[in-house]
This record gives sequence, C-alpha cells and structure tokens, in this order.
Amino acid sequence: MANLAPILLVEDNPRDLELTLAALSKCQLANEIVIARDGAEALDYLYQRGPHADRAEGDPAVVLLDLKLPKVDGLEVLETVKTDAARRQIPVVMLTSSREERDLVKSYELGVNAFVIKPVDFNAFFEAIQDLGMFWAILNEPPPRGANRA
Amino acid sequence: METDVDLDACAREPIRIPGGIQPHGALMVVDPDRLDMLQASENLQDFTGLANTPGARLADTALAPLAADLAAWTGGDEPSFLRTLQIGDLTFQVTAHRARQGLIVEFEDPPASEDETLEVLYPRLRRFVDRLESAGDVKTVAELTVRQMRALTGFNRVMLYSFDAEGAGTVLAEDRDEALPSYLDLRFPASDIPPQARELYRLNRLRLIPNASYVPSPMVPPMSPVDGQPLDMSFAALRSVSPIHLEYMRNMGTLSSMSVSILVDGALWGLISLHHAQPKRLNAQVRTACDFLGQIVSLQIGARERAARGARRIALKQKESELLASLSQEAAFQEGLVANGETWLGLVDADGAALVSEEHLITFGSTPSHPELTELALWLGRREVGEVFATDSLAEHWPQSEAFAADASGLLAISISQIHPSYIMWFRQEVVRTVNWAGAPTKPMTNQERLTPRQSFALWKERVRQRSLPWTDVEIDSARDFRNAVVNFVLRRAEERAALTEQLRRTNQELESFSYSISHDLRAPFRHVVGYSELLRDRLEDIDDKSKHYLDSISEAALSAGRLVDDLLNFSQLGRTSLSPARIDMKKLVAEVRRSTEQDTLERQMEWKVGDLPPAYGDPAMIRQVMFNLLDNAVKYTKGRTPALIEVEGREDADRTTYTIRDNGVGFDMKYAGKLFGVFQRLHRAEDFEGTGIGLALVKRIVDRHNGVVSLDSELNKGTVVTFSLPKSVPQSQGHG
Repeated sequence: MANLAPILLVEDNPRDLELTLAALSKCQLANEIVIARDGAEALDYLYQRGPHADRAEGDPAVVLLDLKLPKVDGLEVLETVKTDAARRQIPVVMLTSSREERDLVKSYELGVNAFVIKPVDFNAFFEAIQDLGMFWAILNEPPPRGANRA
Repeated sequence: METDVDLDACAREPIRIPGGIQPHGALMVVDPDRLDMLQASENLQDFTGLANTPGARLADTALAPLAADLAAWTGGDEPSFLRTLQIGDLTFQVTAHRARQGLIVEFEDPPASEDETLEVLYPRLRRFVDRLESAGDVKTVAELTVRQMRALTGFNRVMLYSFDAEGAGTVLAEDRDEALPSYLDLRFPASDIPPQARELYRLNRLRLIPNASYVPSPMVPPMSPVDGQPLDMSFAALRSVSPIHLEYMRNMGTLSSMSVSILVDGALWGLISLHHAQPKRLNAQVRTACDFLGQIVSLQIGARERAARGARRIALKQKESELLASLSQEAAFQEGLVANGETWLGLVDADGAALVSEEHLITFGSTPSHPELTELALWLGRREVGEVFATDSLAEHWPQSEAFAADASGLLAISISQIHPSYIMWFRQEVVRTVNWAGAPTKPMTNQERLTPRQSFALWKERVRQRSLPWTDVEIDSARDFRNAVVNFVLRRAEERAALTEQLRRTNQELESFSYSISHDLRAPFRHVVGYSELLRDRLEDIDDKSKHYLDSISEAALSAGRLVDDLLNFSQLGRTSLSPARIDMKKLVAEVRRSTEQDTLERQMEWKVGDLPPAYGDPAMIRQVMFNLLDNAVKYTKGRTPALIEVEGREDADRTTYTIRDNGVGFDMKYAGKLFGVFQRLHRAEDFEGTGIGLALVKRIVDRHNGVVSLDSELNKGTVVTFSLPKSVPQSQGHG
C-alpha cells in the first residue's frame, strides 16, 4: 500500500477541513492526504514548485477541490489541470457548498470528474466522502503513470 | 342641376370684354399718340352730342381742349385723369386711363350737388380714419366701414363680407334702411363669384351698376382697330356687367349696386357691397372717396388680422404652457388631459378631443364613439399622415367617417408615437350645425328662386356639408408645438422607465449574488454544527439520555435550518433557471420517487395504487421535484393511518396531461386552501409534521412555469386530492429573471 498515490485535499475553511479529514480517517484509507489551503498552493503541489518543489514524483490519486478558494479559486484550478494535456487525467472532484446551477454547469464544461454538494447532514457528508475516497483513491485505476506525458 | 350649368356658364363669361357699356355714360377709345378716335360706344352722340367718327382727330372736334389735356397727361406720370368738361351747354365729368388698345376716355354726368365734391368729402374721411384707428377688431372695423359707406353714398344697404380660404363668403357687417332686407351673417359659396370676376375685383377695386335694368350700349366698331380684338374694359368704370349678375341683382330687389374691393397682402380679402332698391348714380368724386376709403379699410383690416394672429398665437401658447404645467404634475400626462379638458380643447379651439394609444382611450367634449376613434387611429396610422394632420372635411379623405361627420367633420391629429398608431385628436363639428342665417325663410324654395341669397345660402350649406370651420395656421402650429412637448414628455417617461428597468436588473443581479453567497456561506455553519455534534457523540462513551437528547436536538435544529436554506435556494433558483423540456416517462418517475420514500415508511403499512400514467412533457428535473413533493406530502400526511392509502393516476387529453395524487391523510380545512401555495405557509404544527413550508409553493411555481394548472381539494381528516395538469407543448420560456 506504500505506493498508493496521495489524495490532494484543497480546502480553505478550517472547520470543513477538520470535518473532511475526520470523514476520510473514518474510511481508514491508507493514502497520504496532502492539504492545500488555497488554489495557488494546490497548483504549486500539482506542478511541483514553490514549497512543493522537492516533493516525491507523481500525481495525486484524486483532488478533492473546494469551489470557493482564496487567491486562485477552484474553477481556475480545475481549468488549469483539465486544459493541461499532461495532467488532465488526474481525477478532480469538486466539493462545494454551492447549489448554484452555473457552478455545476461550468465545472462539467471544464471536465470535472464528479461534483459533490456537501450535504448538511453529517452522516450523508461522511458517506459521500467515504464513497469518493474509496472510488477515486482505491477502486479507480489511474492511467499508467506518465502515459500522457509528452 | 340646372343651377350648376348656369354657374358654370357664369364662370366662363368673358366679363373683361363684354362688347358694350352701361349707358349712364359714354366711352371712347383714343390713340395715345395721334389722339384720334379708335372706337366709341354707340350712345356717344346721344350722350355728348359728339358724332362717333372713328379715325377723327380729337383736336379737330369739339374735344380739342380735352385733346390738349390728354396730351399733357400722357406725357406725365399722373396715374389717373379726371376733368370737368364743357361741351356746348353740357357739363361732363371725364375720366381716362391707359389700356392695351388705347386710352379709354369715359364721359359721365357731373356731381349733382356741392356736397359731393372732394373738398366736402375730405374732412369726413379724415374723421372716419381717426375712428378706425381706435377700433379694436376686424368686426368693429367692418361695422364702422359700412356705416361710413352708407353715409357717404346714401345707398339703402351696405354690407361688408369676407372670403375664406376656399372663397366662400360671410356677411360680417351691414348697415341699411328699411328698403332692403338684412343679409347679416349670410354665407354664400365660392361659386357665387366666379374666379375671373374675383380677379377683376382684385385688379379694379371699384365697380358701379347704377341701373340693373339697363340696355348695354355696344362698341362701334365692335373690334378694336389696333388688334382686331374686342375692347378689354377691365378698368373701365362703365364696363357692362354679366347678365347673370344683373339677374341676381333683380332677384335681390336691388336695381343699383356698387362694390369696393378689400385687398390684404395683394389678395382679395372681401368686398364692401352697396345696394339700392332704385337706380342710383354716383359721381366720380364720391367713387374716388369710396375707393380711398376701401384702401384705408384694407390696410386697417390687414393690420388687425396680423395683430389678431399674433395675439391668438400668444393666447394659444399660454394655454399650451398652462396645460403642460399641469400635465407635468401628473404621473401620466393622459390623466392631466381630461382634468384640464377645457384647456385641451382651447389649444386649437375644438369641440371635442381624444387621445388614442395602445393603453389609453380618453375623450373630452363631443367626439366619435370609442370604436370609431380606434378605427380612426388605425386609419391615420395606415395613411402615414406624419406628425400633424389637419382637415376640415374628414369625410373627403375617409368616406367611412361620414357616420360621425356631425361631431367630427374637422380633424386635427398629432402623432405621439413612432411605433404605435397613437394620436391626440381634436374635432370640430360640422359647420352647418353651428351657423344660422336669420334671413333664410323656412318655407321651401321654388324654381323661380334660383340665383337668390336664399339659394346661395342653401347651396353654401350643401357645399359645407361634412365640413367644419377650417383650422387656422396658428391653430395647426399650436397643435404642432403641443406635440413636441408631449413627445418630449413621453420620451422622458420612457427614459425614466428604462432607468428603472436598469435599476431593477441591477437589484436582481445583486439578489442573485446574494443568494449565491447564501448558498455557499450560510449552509457551511449548519454543516459544521451537525458535523461537530456527530464527532462529539462518537467520542462520548456511555452518554446519558439527557446529553443524547441535547446532542440530537442540536443536530436536528441545524439540519432543519440547512434544509430550509436548501429549499429557499431551490425556490429562488426556479425563477432563474431555464426550462429544458423533454418527454418524461411518468411511470418510471413515480416508481423512482415512490422508492425514495420507502426508506421512511418501512414501519408503516402503505397501500399504493398506481393507475395509468401517460407521459408528460416538461423539464424532467422540475417535474420530478413536483412529483416528489406531492408524494412526499402524501406519505407525510398519512402518518398514523393504517393503512395509509396513496393513489396516483393520470389522464391524457388533446392538449394536456393531468395527474392526480389522492391520499387518506389528515387533510385540511378548505378555507385555508388559498394559503397553501404560498411560501412558508403551514397548516400543521412543526412537531406533528416536519417540513419547511415550501413544498407546495415550489410545486405551484414549477407548474406555473410550465403554463400548467394545479389545484387542491381536501377534507379535514378524510384526505387530500392534488391535481396538476401540464400542456403538451411548453413554451421555451426563459427564466423570469
């Protein structure tokens, strides 16, 4: 299990972060969970630059991306990833409070892999996180490493 | 139509070349250079004792002194020639004027008395001119004039009449004795005075007929030796007049007449017409005085008319300002029009007024009916009459308007919209209704009465049928000015409305971003409350019942608040989201919705009866929401029923599909039915039935957006029936914004 790719969790709200982490830990996933607190940091991680310049090689198993983020917002991160031929195979799940149709439409246009509206009900939230973690981190077989790299 | 034939003949009369003269004087044509006789009237010898010998040199006759005078005159620049001439023991007044075919020399009897010399006449004319200066209006000038004319000439009756733009005449003033009847206020048609006579009145300002029973004295030779043409007598005082005119005079009981033209700005404005029952002659001095008086009056009337036009312009402008001032205080200027109806009419001196636009039909005074006005506005629109349209005979342009010619023969309309046929209209009544001539007897006319004032009046009435008084330039200008003001007013209102729309759009946008923020930021804290209380519960082992109750309550409260936010957002989003209509398999949809409710009814005895469900046409997500809310309600409100009975069925008609959901739940009192579709309307206590009170409002809103109908029927403790129907074609309506 040591070679499991990490989960990149991008969340600015500390409470959402804590609750999401609590939910993920309940799933008992073996994946490392990398946390980015804004869009810029998420991109730094994905592109191995800045504070993440020296991180281990490899893309995350999944990016759990909050929509509203400081500096660079979730949709911009999504757009950057999905328009980059080298990275567009990274699964991105939009996790958001928003029930706005336009956010949803925009996300799918940009090629989001899943769009989850964080439910108010904690049990539902927990189940959603669990399902996501299981599916993307474990069940979903990523394309062969470097397959699309030029 | 015999009269028309006569009048046509009259219009063709060669009145300038009648071929003869009135025999109360004699006429001679003289070569201007050689001063020999060219032509003379047949009565020359009878009247003067001189032989009519064409070709004879005047210097060789008894007229030698005259020849000398004429020679001197033709060499000078004096326009007129007037001499007293002694031939034997006879005295004559001799006048002469230059004409195309020679000098026309006319011989008449001398003045009968000293009274009629210019020296005597001059002071009287002076006094008259002074009085005229102080006369206020045209009518007063006319009255002073006829009195003065009668005093000057001693005619039985003196009338002053004016012509309108079409040439029809109106008797404005009259002075008379008992010998002749009154024609004051008489109207007569333009045809009474044929065009060539009018032109002659314009050129030669004075005409006298001392005796309408005269026998004309012909010219000898009949043709001018100069050009072989009949003599042009346009400016000859003795010119013989039309036999038709003479008949007219005899019919009027007048044997003598004179007329003096009133010219304003070079056009024939009117006539001073003098009549005498018996033959009457006037010498040249009196005639000159009358001519002079006519010129004075012409100038005075011209000045009065100009002043009156100016004054009227000012008065109308003032009315306009008055009206606009009060209109600008009204929310809609349309309301102000009626409130200031008299001023509205006064703007152009109308009998009625109307405003016809897309949204308004407002009238004041006497107007055609509302349907007629609507038709009229459409007609004006079709005709593309432009900004201002004025006519004194609408029926002439639009025969259909004959039906309301009494109220609206005259129309003055201004267009107040570029896009719609919207007009402000003013109406004038048919003029015949407003005019009476006191002199017109009521007995029917006989054939013998052709060419009489009565017949003129009748003919005039005929001519002005479906005709109003014409709109003056000043009035049309007033309407035009008013139009500009109204259009500006309307434009300003439109701009204000556009600004308001823009403001609304911004507010709406703000509301949208507001609800967007709520959807993000308001839901989060509720989620956190629920999350943390669950995490806390997990950490507490052996939790006591009280603590458990508290934790449960915290979770439930936050959950329901979160749900409320979700429902509200859902509701507000509905107006903005556009419909994506598709065919919906309602059997499948109901089955799915039913399954989703089963989680909560595991411990209840439920009896479902699902009948035939034809497919619906609509936005699948929204219709799913409708069905979910209705079935969820049915499940919710049958709590406690054993078994709970829920029936769902549908029906298909030509243009719509209808679905019915029936339950045996608690129901409600139908007197609250109206409230149920409102947001946050609840009929049950929260602890009895959970819910946010938005479900039915959402149903209603969705069905409305599909142009469908939803209705409720219920009986307390018996159950509820909800029916909604959807049209088979849903308009691709956009979000309500």
